[in-house]
Amino acid sequence: MKLAIDETRCKGCNLCTKVCPYKIFKEGKKANRRGIIIPELDRPERCSNCRLMHLYGRTLCGVCQLICPDQAIHWVEEQPYEPQKVAIEY
Amino acid sequence: MSFEDWYRQDRLPHIFCAGCGNGTIINCTLAAIEQMAWKKEETVFVSGIGCSSRAPGYIAADSLHTTHGRAIAFATGVKLANPDLNVVVFTGDGDLAAIGGNHFIHGCRRNIDLTVVCMNNQIYGMTGGQGSPTTPRGCISSTTPYGCAETPFDLCELAIASGANYVSRWTSYHVKELEKSVLAGLQTPGFSFIEALVQCPTAFGRRNKFKQVSDQVDYLRTHTMLKAKRDRLLDQGQHIPPDMYIVGELARRNRPALGVK
Ligand SMILES: Cc1ncc(C[n+]2csc(CCOP(=O)(O)OP(=O)(O)O)c2C)c(N)n1
Ligand code: SF4
Ligand code: SF4
Ligand code: SF4
Ligand SMILES: [Mg+2]
Repeated sequence: MKLAIDETRCKGCNLCTKVCPYKIFKEGKKANRRGIIIPELDRPERCSNCRLMHLYGRTLCGVCQLICPDQAIHWVEEQPYEPQKVAIEY
Repeated sequence: MSFEDWYRQDRLPHIFCAGCGNGTIINCTLAAIEQMAWKKEETVFVSGIGCSSRAPGYIAADSLHTTHGRAIAFATGVKLANPDLNVVVFTGDGDLAAIGGNHFIHGCRRNIDLTVVCMNNQIYGMTGGQGSPTTPRGCISSTTPYGCAETPFDLCELAIASGANYVSRWTSYHVKELEKSVLAGLQTPGFSFIEALVQCPTAFGRRNKFKQVSDQVDYLRTHTMLKAKRDRLLDQGQHIPPDMYIVGELARRNRPALGVK
């Protein structure tokens, strides 16, 4: 699974940047077409939910998704054979 | 399934301001409802008037968007007419404690089997930021330009004194705790009251020196104390800072209830 921010919904409040234990969400720098500064994702493959959601059959952590007041955070399926980056956090 | 499936996707994005805490509270409530495995056809959402009361409009289930302050009165009707329905009320601090104050205390007294989630932003958000019965002392609103001189209601104490079976308080920062607490409320027969303190960056935050949305959320995070800790400090005879909000499960009991399935 892949972590994604829905740009049509995000209003740029930056609350997600406050809660992720891995600090995956970083305050963005550039405004998009609607004038909203969407947060950037720093190595989103570290998100525990991306890696373990299917294995456990439920949402793990998911705090960013719960706090996002605009229902903009979700996980999307990867394409078959999509190349994957693996990051290991010590 | 996840809580996202309870949203009316065609109605999103919602009209709440950027950073408004209401969306977070709806997420947590729906996540709890999702765990109850309720059918959408057997669930009814009721609300009054206010920003917070717009919540049912974004949920894919039957709902009643009623007159200001009357959500609990309408919800009582729904529940007593058909106790098989699961009834959840969304309300705001003004809706619940100002114009709807009497419905609130009598709902608690009758202990009707409802779950009431109050998004307490301590202000009348929708009408431009007038002071509400929960505006803290000293806070600026359009009707208290020199700082609020009145003492606010403690909504949870009110619910406990009036007889609600389940009472808890959390904030929009404590999402997991809030979710668990709403779940406990849904599972408890009788009146369950969950107060969620939320940020209203537009009508409250701007006037009260919270420049960023996250400043007010940080304030909520740092100005809350667990009930267990409060009790421990009291036992030790220590001082509790007056600006602390006590969070956690504040009451869970088994008074006679009305309208239980
Ligand atoms: C009978 C009646 N009186 C007054 C109003 C105006 N009014 C609309 S919303 C509101 C206050 C809402 O405050 P709250 O319940 O805290 O909701 P919020 O917008 O803060 O979420 C008021 C006074 C109304 N709609 N109907
Ligand atoms: S689910 Fe948890 S770990 Fe993953 S991005 Fe969200 S907050 Fe971070
Ligand atoms: S919490 Fe949601 S709306 Fe706010 S910045 Fe993050 S993704 Fe955007
Ligand atoms: S006015 Fe306040 S409560 Fe209403 S939508 Fe805006 S931030 Fe939310
Ligand atoms: Mg309000």
